[in-house]
Amino acid sequence: MVDSTLLLRFLPEFAILGAGLLVLLAERMGAQRRELFGGLAIAGMALALLFVAADAGLAGLGSLRGVGASSIDAPVATGALYAFSSLGLLFQGFFLASALLVAVALLSRPSREPGSPVAYALLLFATLGMLLVALAADLVFLLLALEVTAISSYLLVGYTRRDPRGLEAAMKFYIIGALSASLSFFGASLLYGAYGTTSLTVIGHSWPTGAGSLASAGYAFLLVGLGFEVTAVPFHMWAVDVYDGAPTEVSAFLAGGTKKVGLFAFFLLFLVPLLLVGTLSTPAGSARESIQLALALLAVLTMTLGNLLALLQKEMKRLLAYSSISQAGYMLLGLAVGTGPALTGASLQILAHVFLKTGAFLVVAAVAALGVGPLVADWKGLGLRRPYLSAAFALMLLGLAGIPLTVGFVSKFVLFSAAIQAEGWFLWLAIAGLLNSALSVFYYARILKTMYVDHVDPGAPPAPSPSEPSLAFDGLGWGRAGAIGLATVVIVALGIYPQPVLSALGAAVQHFLTLGV
Amino acid sequence: MFDPYNIFDWAFLVPLLPALAFVFVGLLGPRLKRLEYGGWLAVGFGGAAMALGVTLAAEEMLSPGTYTDQQYTWLSLPGNGSGAFPNGFSLVVGTLVDPISALMLIVVTVVGFLVLLYSIGYMHQDRGLPRYYAELSLFLAAMNGLVLSDNLLEFFLFWELVGVCSYFLIGFYYEKPSAASAAKEAFLVTRVGDILFLLGIFVYFSTYATRGAAGGWAANGFPFVQGNAPYLAGAMGGHSTTLTIAGLLILGGAAGKSAQFPLHVWLPDAMEGPTTVSALIHAATMVAAGVYLLAVASLFLGFTPTDQLAIVAIGGFTSFFAATMALVNPDIKRVIAYSTISQLGYMVLAVGAGFAMVGLYHLFTHAFFKALLFLAAGSVIHAVGTQDLFKMGGLGKPMRITGFAFLVGGLSLSGIFPFAGFWSKDDILSSVYGTLATHPLYWPFFLMALVTVFLTAYYIFRAFFLTFSGSAPRDPGLGHAHEGAWVMTGPLLVLSGLAIVAGLLPFAHGFGSLLPGAGIPPNYGSTDLLLSGASLGLAGLGIGLAYYLWGNGRVFALADSSPAQPVRRLLLRRYYMKDAYDAVGTRGVYGLARGADFVERYMIDGTVHGLERAFAGLSDRLRKIESGVVLDYAAFLVSGLLFLLLFLLVIGPWVASNGGL
Repeated sequence: MVDSTLLLRFLPEFAILGAGLLVLLAERMGAQRRELFGGLAIAGMALALLFVAADAGLAGLGSLRGVGASSIDAPVATGALYAFSSLGLLFQGFFLASALLVAVALLSRPSREPGSPVAYALLLFATLGMLLVALAADLVFLLLALEVTAISSYLLVGYTRRDPRGLEAAMKFYIIGALSASLSFFGASLLYGAYGTTSLTVIGHSWPTGAGSLASAGYAFLLVGLGFEVTAVPFHMWAVDVYDGAPTEVSAFLAGGTKKVGLFAFFLLFLVPLLLVGTLSTPAGSARESIQLALALLAVLTMTLGNLLALLQKEMKRLLAYSSISQAGYMLLGLAVGTGPALTGASLQILAHVFLKTGAFLVVAAVAALGVGPLVADWKGLGLRRPYLSAAFALMLLGLAGIPLTVGFVSKFVLFSAAIQAEGWFLWLAIAGLLNSALSVFYYARILKTMYVDHVDPGAPPAPSPSEPSLAFDGLGWGRAGAIGLATVVIVALGIYPQPVLSALGAAVQHFLTLGV
Repeated sequence: MFDPYNIFDWAFLVPLLPALAFVFVGLLGPRLKRLEYGGWLAVGFGGAAMALGVTLAAEEMLSPGTYTDQQYTWLSLPGNGSGAFPNGFSLVVGTLVDPISALMLIVVTVVGFLVLLYSIGYMHQDRGLPRYYAELSLFLAAMNGLVLSDNLLEFFLFWELVGVCSYFLIGFYYEKPSAASAAKEAFLVTRVGDILFLLGIFVYFSTYATRGAAGGWAANGFPFVQGNAPYLAGAMGGHSTTLTIAGLLILGGAAGKSAQFPLHVWLPDAMEGPTTVSALIHAATMVAAGVYLLAVASLFLGFTPTDQLAIVAIGGFTSFFAATMALVNPDIKRVIAYSTISQLGYMVLAVGAGFAMVGLYHLFTHAFFKALLFLAAGSVIHAVGTQDLFKMGGLGKPMRITGFAFLVGGLSLSGIFPFAGFWSKDDILSSVYGTLATHPLYWPFFLMALVTVFLTAYYIFRAFFLTFSGSAPRDPGLGHAHEGAWVMTGPLLVLSGLAIVAGLLPFAHGFGSLLPGAGIPPNYGSTDLLLSGASLGLAGLGIGLAYYLWGNGRVFALADSSPAQPVRRLLLRRYYMKDAYDAVGTRGVYGLARGADFVERYMIDGTVHGLERAFAGLSDRLRKIESGVVLDYAAFLVSGLLFLLLFLLVIGPWVASNGGL
């Protein structure tokens, strides 16, 4: 029998799914206008965001959905496929925010470009998968939800169909994605073999003493599979090609949105071994230490290599791609430390990135639409020509570098001080993170210098003109301007007054840690 | 919660209004039809801030107390009972109105407003006017924020902002090399103090702020809580050495900002800024911050006896040392500048001896007569276009108001009854005198302060007579002097009034509550009367000597063969301290810099470039891998997998079995 509250429980997901189906239906019925598809998608996402906000108890919306707060953060029954945790709900909010920014920005794509209904439908289906990941309480449920997102995003990368670079990127993304998905599933089957169940509630509370090696091997496979999702080094290589080749709005979604799904999956899967109690001589303690070390290693490797490679990049999108890789390292760092404050810091870093990275890629898309070339050097003098756009981008770069009064500072501050507070060898993680932050300032500052300081050669060809000058804001378009403006406001607002979000995340993480999944 | 009917909840507007003026004038100023309009905008915001500041102070007088309102936690990290900060810590921004901050609010907002108003007349010719008013407003915002800070970290934030603003303003005429270098000097020298202050904060943070019984201090955001000082001292128990070090570091910070020996060198050179800026720096903002820091620290953090002796020594010595340099200087602004350093020494002396309120009392009176002296000097400079005392003379007749103002300021500075300076200086001397029985080590510094009374009266009246007495300027090339517009004379008259009565204001019942424990009104015993008589006598002697040597247009020239010549040269060369610093700067620091440069160029850069080349090579290879061969990606993926398997199954357990990392 179907539980009558089931529909209510999945209202956000149904809103997204419904919007996706409506987009496809409208396309079948011959609708042409991008605004229609975009409007449907945005409405669905906004509705879902409203439902999620209601669940999270924000702004007194709690009664909207009928399901009381009692089912949130309640102990999860063994064998349940999904669970409502406050952390999961907050992450659903993050995912929806990222999708919403991208959906709004997509409105300003060239009007004659084909495939806009496909893009919106895929964006919605990817979002659906993301929302489901945040609810997962079962390994198979989790991996399937991840696949929903992954398959949608492969297609999304190549949605324009005419751009060979996009198609090539989609193909690469798909091949590597399929490989890592198969590794993930294999790891899951090993875990099943070790535990005899796929329920994260069981996996989450014990270490299979008799089958420890099997479990360790399973975790190794899952590390690779999920490492691919979050672009951890050395599983990152696809990311630069894909971010570079995909339509830039899609890159924004991949970097700011779908990657964070992988991180939440990391939370679900790898926090558990980190919480195992026992001295190092016990199997559980030994497993905890091994996985913690592996995560720390991945974190340091990821941020360092990402930053070093970004240093030399001349193309803006590739530079941002590497910077995005390095930022994944900071988030993994929080996971490796594994304490409440560290996870709060990592979650905040994820939230920061939804706006910083999505925003930064959207600016790149906007600048490309203005006719500026793909190289960093092409941005010369942009600070004077497009002061507002440049200021927004500068703010995002400063946020990525972790400068105060942006959300990027707050998240790094919380993250690194949590690592320092945890003492032991975590202190070295904090130092590695700080050094990397310093390193990253080099290339962020280089971009700022290019935009604001570098002299424009008087003999240089005149400034390029927008490809579609008819759009609002001198060829920028309402969609892009709105999305970038929104991201900028949030970056500053959270930088100036982070405490409410910080407290909410802290409390959610605490629930998460005490209850497991 | 914010209560709109509680005036103290609006305290945040006092710094915010000038900050808004900064934004508006900075952004709109250059586009206004006339550049002065930006000035009037700043004056308007400054006036509003003054109205609110004075209202707050009045409310504080009516109902004395500590009002911590509008606290806003910027960031708060919970503690986990162990680790580097077991109780966690918070970064808090809030406003605190208590008696001393209310007193400072009066000083800062009133003097700030008058200086802004006066600037309209004084700064008419400059093209950088919007920049000037914007920076001046920011300066006021920073100082107001500092005064209203309710915790140590917020205080430090505004402290740094004050420093930056002073750099901008001293270097306002940045195309003048001397101004640019003076700004750099001020910034660098006070920077030394700032770093010491920061180190002091670190010492507090790494010791009892985060642990033990006082652990809540950091968790609550380092608040300034009355009664915290003995608590902290008790919490430290046997760690009084740490406490002493922290106190000395705070003193270092204060010495930088308040131009105390040996960090005093920047203040006379800061005269390169517009005179209005000097007035503000010397009276209400920059240098007051250091004394205020000492007062706040003595109330909320506590100083050990060793710290106190150090503070007394620095203060007493500086008061004397700076006064001697003022004796011979030919520049009207520099004379007043040295007098500021000297008077700040008095305040530091009082705070060190344990009389923070007495020190602030002098800060309060000094702010008015010093601003008056500077604005009067500015009026003179504005009229004759020179700062050289020996070119002036006879200006008393064409500039009656300015002359009167300077006279009032001079009498007040000299501590002549019943001008403002008399009361506060007398309070300092008698308070410190009272401690001599128990602290004999204070004796020499008390005597220095006493002798300084004589020196002060002499040098300021030397400047007065050289400027205003006589029949005509000694340099006939000076233009016809005349009084400035009302925006200049008005503030002079207001400040003259304040320089006369400011000392008596705290005698009023309500006003007195702003300076609790300052010994107001004085309870004169026979020794106190004797002391007052002595200091009055010394001041009178100084004025008399000045009149004898310089009065009525006389110019006293020391014979070349006089045995006093070397002393004069020593004083003119400022005890060669600046030369010594320059030598240390050019030889020592440049030497160090060259060494660092070598290290940088050949070792660090070499490494960096080496790394760069290495990584360029690596990235090149990576690019080759990323040329589209998906198999390579897969190969990396699989090798990563093999490594992780090895790690989780073999290496990790091995590390764990060996005790972990």
